[in-house]
Formats: sequence, C-alpha cells, structure tokens
Amino acid sequence: MIEVRQLTKRYRATRAVDGLSFEVKPGYVAGFLGPNGAGKSTTMRAILGLDRPTSGEALVDGRRYADLRRPMHHVGALIDAGAVHGGRSAYDHLRVLARSNGIKDTRVVATLEQVGLAGVAKRRVGSLSLGMKQRLGVAAALLGDPGVLLFDEPVNGLDPEGIRWIRHLMRGLAREGRTVLVSSHLMSEMALTADRVIVIGRGRLILESSMQDLQEKFRTDVLVRSPTPDALVSVLTAAGASTRSEDGALLVQGLDAPEIADLAALNGIRVHELTPRSASLEDAYLELTEESVEYRTKETAR
Amino acid sequence: MTDLLNSEWLKLRSVRSTTYILLAITAALLGGVLVSFLMTADWDTSPPDLQQKFGSADPGMLVVPFTQFCLGVLGAMAITSEYGTGMIRTALVSVPQRKAFLVAKTLVVAGASLAIALMATLLAYQAGEWITGDRPRPISAYDSFADALPGLLANTASMVLLALVGMGLGFLLRSTAGALVSLCALLFVLPTLTLVLPEPWNERAYSVMLPVLAPQLSGDITNPLLSPLGAALTMVAYLIAAVGAGTIALLRRDA
Repeated sequence: MIEVRQLTKRYRATRAVDGLSFEVKPGYVAGFLGPNGAGKSTTMRAILGLDRPTSGEALVDGRRYADLRRPMHHVGALIDAGAVHGGRSAYDHLRVLARSNGIKDTRVVATLEQVGLAGVAKRRVGSLSLGMKQRLGVAAALLGDPGVLLFDEPVNGLDPEGIRWIRHLMRGLAREGRTVLVSSHLMSEMALTADRVIVIGRGRLILESSMQDLQEKFRTDVLVRSPTPDALVSVLTAAGASTRSEDGALLVQGLDAPEIADLAALNGIRVHELTPRSASLEDAYLELTEESVEYRTKETAR
Repeated sequence: MTDLLNSEWLKLRSVRSTTYILLAITAALLGGVLVSFLMTADWDTSPPDLQQKFGSADPGMLVVPFTQFCLGVLGAMAITSEYGTGMIRTALVSVPQRKAFLVAKTLVVAGASLAIALMATLLAYQAGEWITGDRPRPISAYDSFADALPGLLANTASMVLLALVGMGLGFLLRSTAGALVSLCALLFVLPTLTLVLPEPWNERAYSVMLPVLAPQLSGDITNPLLSPLGAALTMVAYLIAAVGAGTIALLRRDA
C-alpha cells in the first residue's frame, strides 16, 4: 500500500511536484505516467525518503519510509539501474545491500538465479550490459521479498526480450498480492502492463483510473454520415454495434468500416461518409498531458 | 548496527580502490626502506664527523606523510565513490536511517584505517631498526621500542584522523576530486602558506597544521608551540569539524 498525500516538492523556483495525492493498493500493477519532467521520479524519490517533501507526505504501509526498520523487507525499489558502483562484482553488490538488512547470502544466490544473472555473478557490474544491470536492479529490489515494489522506468534501454521479461515479472508480483507502482512515459508500454494508471503532468494529478475505463473512454469508432440515419442505426444495432449521434453524424463502435459499408449496401441505405477514427491510448495520453508538457519541440509531429 | 557494519565492511573490501591504496602504502613502505638502506650504507662509509650530521634512517619519514594522504583518500572514497556512481541512492534506500549509515561508515573507516596505520608505522619502525642495527643515534632513529612508542602511536592517530577528515570532506563535497583537492590543500598547501604570515602568526598557524600535529602530540620535536594536550585537542577539533560538516550535509540535503 502506497499513499501519497498532498505531496509538494519545490526545488528553488520550480515545483517538481505540486499537491499530488494518490493511492496504490495491493494486487494490481499501477502505471505512473507523465511526460518527461512531470515529477514521476521526484515522487518516487520522496516515497523512498531520498528527497524530503516541501510539504505533504508519502507513506508506505502507513509509515514514512525513513521509519522502516530493514526497509528491504517491506519495499523493493528499482530507481536507476546505473546507480551502482561499477567496480564491485554483481554478487558483492547484492551482498552489500543484503547485509545492511540482515539478509542471508543464500537469498542473494537465489535472487541472482531468479533474475537469470547467476552466470555473471562474479563479473564486475561496470562490465554488464544495460539489460543485465536492469536485471541486477530488479534482483536488488526482490532481495528482501518485499510487499511493495517501485520501478522507475524499468524498460528503458531493454531489448524486446527484456521488456517482456520485466512485464511478466511485474504482473506476476501483482498477482501474488503485492503493491506494484511502475513509472513510464510510454502509454503503449503501460497499456500492456498496468491495470490502473495514474497520469501526472507538471507535478499535478491529471487522471487516476483503471486501464479498462481509460480504454473505454478513448475507444476507436467509425464516423458515418447517412441521409437516413435512423434506418442505419436499427440495422447496425441489430448487428451488435453501439451507436451515438454527434453533429449530424453517427459514431459507431463494435463494427469496422467495411462491415458497416456492407450492411448499408445489403439494406439499400445510402452512406455519404465513412471514416474510421482511431484514438489510441497514446493519443488519449497525449491529449491528457498536452497542457503539461515541459519541453516541447516547436512542431510536434503527431 | 551489526548489519550495517557488516555491509560497510564488505563495501570497503569489495572495491579495487582499497586494494590500490594498500598497494600504494606498500610501495611507500618499500621506498622508505630503500632510502633508509642507502642512507645507512652511506653512513657506514662516511668519516665520523660527517656521520654526526646524518639524519635518522627512519622509513617512517616517508611512510607517515604518504600513508596519511593514502588513508585520507581511503576515507574520502568510501563515500565519494557512492555519490560519484549513484550508489548512494541505492544505499540510502536500503538504509534510510542516515545517522546510522554515517555512524557505521565512520566506524568501519576508523577501524580499517587504524589497522592499516598501525601496520604501516610498526613495519616502518621495525624495518628501520633492522637496517640500522646496533648503530648509534642519529642514524638510528630510536634507542628502544619504548622510546619509539609515543611517536608511533601519535603517527597512527594522525593517520586515522586523516582518514576521518577525508571521509567528512567526502560527505560534505560529494565528489572525489573535490575531497582530494581539499585534502592536498590541508596537508601540503596550507602548511606552506602559513609561513608567509607575519610573526608570530606564522608559527602559531603552522603549529595547528595537520602534518605537524603528530610530533607535537608525542613531544618529539624541540620547542613545540602546542603541548601534547593542545595537539590532541586540535586533532579532536579537526575531527569534529570535518565529520560534523559531513553529518549536516548528509542529514539536511536530499540524496
């Protein structure tokens, strides 16, 4: 369980996070979305006690992170796969973290095997590929078998196989009843991983909803214009589509354009326009965060 | 706390920089031995009136300042390597109690540098005794171990102090380069600069410089400005200033 309440973090003049509140409960993957500079990392750093909030609070299992004894047993975090000493071996790196929380070396070995790094355990971290470092970061997060997991941009720099692995892992962890919060600036990635999304922009909450609701809201439809809309509606409804009218046109969901055209032709209904409209989640996301994009190129190619 | 000490000890052991620092101290030891050996060989072939003008063939002359600096580097890098690589974030996420984190690191740095410093001073002393054998003063630095002991302990204390000053600077500055430049300034630049001050401030300022605290602590120099107690208090002041500043930086600033 993660609770963020009225969290504000100011760095001199800029408000990185501005009165942000949300909750993440156990049992599902929560996607934490926002454009670059929206305050995702700052929020995660505040949850982990790395940054002191200007005001408000962030609680894990009802307590401030800094008050947790042996926090690795409660919270596992992958904040930055590069945030390790490159000179240590992968095994020693994990042992350093494990010892600080009273975790046995046997658990370190088991975790290395779990993430598939047993073969490179003796290699220096600096010599590992980005994908391997990411796995090492995941191993560190899993060491204490925690009930709460935070992943900050875990798929950055991973190859497709690695992305699939981490996606599978996060879903598995949530299914085991853990609380999983994963940040990303890619809606397409979250669409495949997250059950709920928390979208922020400029440090403020834009939307908190289930992925299903979000998809429902921005589903694809077909815009149809016909001189006899009522006849068309009854035909399409009979075929299982849902329709609503807007500006003298019909918006049809549940059938695609060729199917609608065929049905209209079969029933002798004239159609003047037939436009498939796709509002992908990516579009929905861009629409949601448009106001809050921190760094914008002059002409956004959309 | 045992867990934290275990973790910090493993941290120190599992990086190559620690090995390199130990190698550097060993090299200084060998260099000191070589110089002592050559001095003694020279002394043996010199006429008696010249023999009186020799300095002591004590490897410690080279080993002590070098080890002071090396342990300063060890202490600084114990923390700046974490800031430099970002490991500090991973470390503070696993140990959010920053005071405990600092105490554990301080104890491990102090313990490790104490062991290294004792080893270096004792080896330097013993090597000097072997080389000079039963030759008289001044080529032999000490008459007996009892005679040497205060100096050896004072040198050891100054080395541990340097390690902790280095660590404090590391916590404060968060950068290896910054901490090492500051160490060099404290050890090598400032002592020279104090000498351009007008009388009597030049001597007064010089007397509280890090490199001259150990001989004043053991009473091994003639006409010291500081009593052994004064030197001890000055060392404690350095310790409090450096570690205190580091503590404030760690507790107040975001990681």
